[in-house]
Amino acid sequence: MKALIVDDAKVVRVTLARMMGQLGYEAVKAEDGRQALDAMAEHPDVDVVMLDWNMPVMNGYDFLVALRGMAQHATHPKVIMVTTETGMPSMLKALAAGADEYIMKPFDQDMVAGKLAMVGLEAAG
Amino acid sequence: MQASEFRYMQQFLLRKIGLSLADDKQYLIKSRVTRLLREHQLDDANAVARAVRRDENGPLAQQVLDAMTTNETLFFRDQYPFEALRDLIFPELIHAKGRHGKINIWSAASSTGQEACSIAMTASESVPEPGRVHILGTDFSAKAVEYARRGVYTQMEVQRGMPIKQLVRFFDQQGSSWAVRPELKAMMHFDHANLVDNSLAAKVRRHGPFDVVFCRNVLIYFTPEERAHVIDRISRCMHKGGYFISGATETPEGRLSRWNQVMFKGKRLWQLQ
Repeated sequence: MKALIVDDAKVVRVTLARMMGQLGYEAVKAEDGRQALDAMAEHPDVDVVMLDWNMPVMNGYDFLVALRGMAQHATHPKVIMVTTETGMPSMLKALAAGADEYIMKPFDQDMVAGKLAMVGLEAAG
Repeated sequence: MQASEFRYMQQFLLRKIGLSLADDKQYLIKSRVTRLLREHQLDDANAVARAVRRDENGPLAQQVLDAMTTNETLFFRDQYPFEALRDLIFPELIHAKGRHGKINIWSAASSTGQEACSIAMTASESVPEPGRVHILGTDFSAKAVEYARRGVYTQMEVQRGMPIKQLVRFFDQQGSSWAVRPELKAMMHFDHANLVDNSLAAKVRRHGPFDVVFCRNVLIYFTPEERAHVIDRISRCMHKGGYFISGATETPEGRLSRWNQVMFKGKRLWQLQ
């Protein structure tokens, strides 16, 4: 199982990669939406994208819209927003754009594992 | 902890709430009562035990009982009980009671209300006219009951077990907290009740008889004898054929009540004979 972790904050990328590793996922990392699109081209077999919202160059929402606009990624991979955007309007906007789940920061490993299960991905390890 | 004080606490917990604490569980008392020390200006768990002994019905004693019984919980815990409601139990009840008959459900160890809320959300999504579903939540802890009645959860709590689609559908945002919407709240009633109390049936009667009882991860704390009494007490509040949903490893073994095992997706549910 493979996860793409997209966040401009290194500490979040490292923390999420460690958690996902413990849940049995191989982690690919990107620092913004543009890098994430490149990563998707290189790793089309990604099962889940853990996606920050506010990032430079290309934000998470624009990445999500671009990703779901590609025929091969209309519903795959699963996308879980992981963000400080905690207002309900943001959640509705992300869901409408094709996000599958939503994590409001801060988070812990139990929460990540729970959200993976909610999108039909059990811990792989 | 001194052996004499630990033995006293074991007996106190058993007498008051039927909690059976094994001899190797001293650490559990110590860890749970630590946060009460400062408030009551006590030095350690031994001092707590001595203070409880002096007034077994006082506020400290109640706080100790709360601390020993309140566990962190989550929404849609274990998932399968709610799938069973949706796919098996509600369709059966709707068939039997018609489109308008009342459906009574009891969350018998409701803690801070997440289980009752999860039942209410499931009913809202799968029962026509969900207003006819009445959910009673009871807990031994008055503090937990108060929390459940308020129905306002933290950001961390709403993210434990609850899919985002249910959150935006059934909750209103209040800053960084999330409040259960009125239509869901109207289906639920929370009250203080002790499962080992003989007056339990009288207390919950006006909310029943129940078609479904959730009583999960509680029976394990009772002695086998007390457990049988609790099961029989609950069974007297249920409709014949009503479903009992226990923790995955728990079995309802009453002295007077008889139960049929029903398998749902490889998990055991119980039906009152």
